[in-house]
Amino acid sequence: MTAVLKAEKLSKWYGNILGISDINLEIGSGITGLLGPNGAGKSTFLKIAAGLLKPKIGSLTVFGAAVFGNHQLFRRIGFCPEHDSAYMEMSGWQFILLLARLHGFAGNEAGARSEKALDTVGLLDSKDREIKGYSFGMRQRLRLASSILHEPEMLMLDEPLRGVDPLWRIKIIKLIKDYGKQGRTVIISSHILPEIEAMTSEIVLIHQGKIFAKGDIHRIRGLIDSHPHQVSIRCLQPRQLAQKLIDSDFVLSVDFDKDGHSLTVKTNQRDLFFTVLIGLIAESGLEIEEITSPDDNLQAVFDYLIGK
Amino acid sequence: MKKQNAMLIIFASFFKSGFKAKRMRVFILLSLIPVVLMLAARVMETAGSLVADASADFFAKVMLVLYFQLLIPVLALFFGSTIVNEELDNKTLVYLTTVPVSRRAVLLGKYLAAFLQAALLVGGGFLLCFLASALTRLGEAAAWEELAVFLGTALLALFCYSSLFTAAGAFMKKSVLIGLFFVFGWESVVQYFPGVTQKFTIIHWIKSLLPVPPGEGGFLIFQLQPSPALESVLMLLGAGFVFLFLAVFIFERKEYILSDNA
Repeated sequence: MTAVLKAEKLSKWYGNILGISDINLEIGSGITGLLGPNGAGKSTFLKIAAGLLKPKIGSLTVFGAAVFGNHQLFRRIGFCPEHDSAYMEMSGWQFILLLARLHGFAGNEAGARSEKALDTVGLLDSKDREIKGYSFGMRQRLRLASSILHEPEMLMLDEPLRGVDPLWRIKIIKLIKDYGKQGRTVIISSHILPEIEAMTSEIVLIHQGKIFAKGDIHRIRGLIDSHPHQVSIRCLQPRQLAQKLIDSDFVLSVDFDKDGHSLTVKTNQRDLFFTVLIGLIAESGLEIEEITSPDDNLQAVFDYLIGK
Repeated sequence: MKKQNAMLIIFASFFKSGFKAKRMRVFILLSLIPVVLMLAARVMETAGSLVADASADFFAKVMLVLYFQLLIPVLALFFGSTIVNEELDNKTLVYLTTVPVSRRAVLLGKYLAAFLQAALLVGGGFLLCFLASALTRLGEAAAWEELAVFLGTALLALFCYSSLFTAAGAFMKKSVLIGLFFVFGWESVVQYFPGVTQKFTIIHWIKSLLPVPPGEGGFLIFQLQPSPALESVLMLLGAGFVFLFLAVFIFERKEYILSDNA
């Protein structure tokens, strides 16, 4: 992976309040989700990456260069802030056109870029209204338009779906996924797991200013050896299956569900468990209806990592 | 993009949108107060309630104090200090600092817009006041020369104060409070100190340019030991540019925390 963004021993605090601490991270092309609860340090990280804040210790580079004070980098970077802010006295059109012109587009091209960006986020019809008359969701979409109007190679979105209605949520997710497919780098922060999950499986988990884990959601899950994996099996003879599994050292517990047709097994060796399970099924002829892993999702991984 | 282009784009945009801001209405009303007072004096003089030339005297004694010691510093304070602080309060700074434009161009573009807005308010009101006071001698060249000196001094004063308060606004968030203390504390008191001490105020250099003969200006020139006109012009220009340079220097290097850091 060629790193577009590289953080080394990156730390930042505000007075006595810790923002982020000792972060080492490389992010390449494609979509990366920055996941963590409010106050975890996601926004601080993105603000340093967008040149709004300076690192206290360590460094962060984008396209090989430090960001703070390096305004030329913003030809290649787009940033959508989390704050509900805009120049309220301007119309949506004036706001986007101003930014297009500041990105160096002149005359008709500035107009065409602005029109395209507003159209992409569905605000072309309301472009002449003052921003203060926009709804929260419309302003959020306007911020998104401001970050994509110059079609940057790297796009950083801080909570981009906050306040957006369900229809536009789907459209924005598609837009972001398309960006990722084009080989651009997209970093999205969110504290809502399904949002991130809908866009990417490549995640960075942040909590209390530190990175807890990074990588594909399934690989991250595999890293948590100390925590038992849960596997839920739906079959016609759950007690018979349990009898065969209980003797294995890697099975920590077996629970029967109320419906009487499924059991949940906790194991500390996920891969070995599945190998043995497949052997047992083939050998005994037990009829299995469904095998699921209820904790193989972001919420479960996140809960385990922060010690809930 | 060339710095000048970016600066002009920012200037044009903020100059236009600035007139739509709520605070602009307050400033327009504020700048109309001297005009109303002056017109009232003129009407009373015409009606015979005041002695002849009372309005011209009123202009010299009251209007100049009102403009140079109150209106200009206060407008400069609010226009200058909000150049950066307004962006922080509204959390809009992020849009101007994540575009391929230098922070210098951003600050200077916004400064130019704010300065021109304040200059229009001060200059417009000042012109109306002057016309009302000098109604009977508008045909005299001396009257227009006087106006040119007044307006020139007003612009220099506005430039110097605006630059100072822009630098203060770039440096700290509560700069309006500090600015009010400076205008109504330091400037009001120290200007009357004898010797060179009064030269540490901006108002000293402004008053030194006003064409009021010593002994006739009453309150305005109380204890003023005027400096030469050329020295005063150079001091105001020099200080204005130093403050503006300082504002740019701070703005280019300072990180501004838009709160809610998570």
